[in-house]
Amino acid sequence: MTIDPETLAAYADGELDPLSARRVERAIADDPAFAAEVERHHALTARLRGSFATLDTQPMPAGVEALFARPDNVVAFPVRKPAPKPQRWWGAIAASLVAGLLLGQLVPRSGSDLGFEGGTAVAQGNLARALDTQFASTQGAQAPVKIGITFRDRAGALCRTFETGTTGGIACAGNKGLWRVQALQGGAETTTTAYAQAGSPIAAVLAQAQAMAAGDPLDAAGEAAALKGR
Amino acid sequence: MPDETGDAIRFIREATKGPGLRFEDELVSHLPRLRRVAHALARVPADADDLLQAAVERALMRRDQWQPGTRLDAWAIRILRNLWIDTVRAQGRRRETFVPPEEGDAVGRQGEQETAVELHNIGRAMGTLPPEQREVIALVMVEGFAYREAADILDIPIGTLTSRLVRGREALLTALGEAA
Repeated sequence: MTIDPETLAAYADGELDPLSARRVERAIADDPAFAAEVERHHALTARLRGSFATLDTQPMPAGVEALFARPDNVVAFPVRKPAPKPQRWWGAIAASLVAGLLLGQLVPRSGSDLGFEGGTAVAQGNLARALDTQFASTQGAQAPVKIGITFRDRAGALCRTFETGTTGGIACAGNKGLWRVQALQGGAETTTTAYAQAGSPIAAVLAQAQAMAAGDPLDAAGEAAALKGR
Repeated sequence: MPDETGDAIRFIREATKGPGLRFEDELVSHLPRLRRVAHALARVPADADDLLQAAVERALMRRDQWQPGTRLDAWAIRILRNLWIDTVRAQGRRRETFVPPEEGDAVGRQGEQETAVELHNIGRAMGTLPPEQREVIALVMVEGFAYREAADILDIPIGTLTSRLVRGREALLTALGEAA
């Protein structure tokens, strides 16, 4: 069977519809050269990602920072928000984290679920433990951290969505590496049970997860197999 | 039709934008992404930082043109890319086809050297690609945009995007010395 390079790349990027994806998978099963090609694509993606991600550890150019430093534009780092914003406060906490990094004011508290490693936010404490060990299907209703969906991104990293308190987010980890927090979203309403409605912070996290994912989320068996490697 | 209706619409848009700092907050959260894209497009780090600053400045200036509810990162990347295309056109293809050797020496501090050299090598390889392949690689492979989203940002058909992606990826592997 012949598979054109565009189709194979689209398969590697998780962009094919299920029917076409199965066709490519059959071709891969028949011909290891296709599998090697997909592997090559993933490896290059991971290399590019990893290389440009090193920029994230460097401070923003002073000129860029200055654009946000005007008095009317100050982005403060709120330790605790007085009240959750009603809706669509996308990126408020992530923005605060970035602003904190920019302005050098962010001091990670000990015992916190977030720490900093080389300038990026990483999970630690309860959050890291939940990401490492907790299954979405068996977690208790009272678990301090709730795991949502588990998926692979295009670089092959394992990613999971989580909720803790009024915050939701996405964390990804390479092979046995730290869980790097890719997105954080504050302002999930705890006073109401209807927090998964479209337009809610959690929906925004899920939308972002969908955009990051290569292929479908892992099912319970896939989740278990992926965590076993950690 | 520039008449008072335009002003009324602009006024309504202002009024529905919600609490004051939202736009800046969200833009700040996308700065790392904008910086990565700037560095993936411009081949020289100093140019990338200039590009980033110009794009952020323009985004702040034109905030009224952003439609709340749409993706701010995609909107800001479009601004950045337009600025980049202007400079590419101004410089002409001449500078796009080779990297001067004096830019070849990445010097990093101890411990940062390895990653600095790797980023430099990648940047150099990216620099050998035609701009239209480089921007596709930047959005899809570096930033992980879905094909549809990337094609919308670049305003090209999805078939064009996939063929540029495949050609760009092959060229990149060749430039990195990993051709099969």
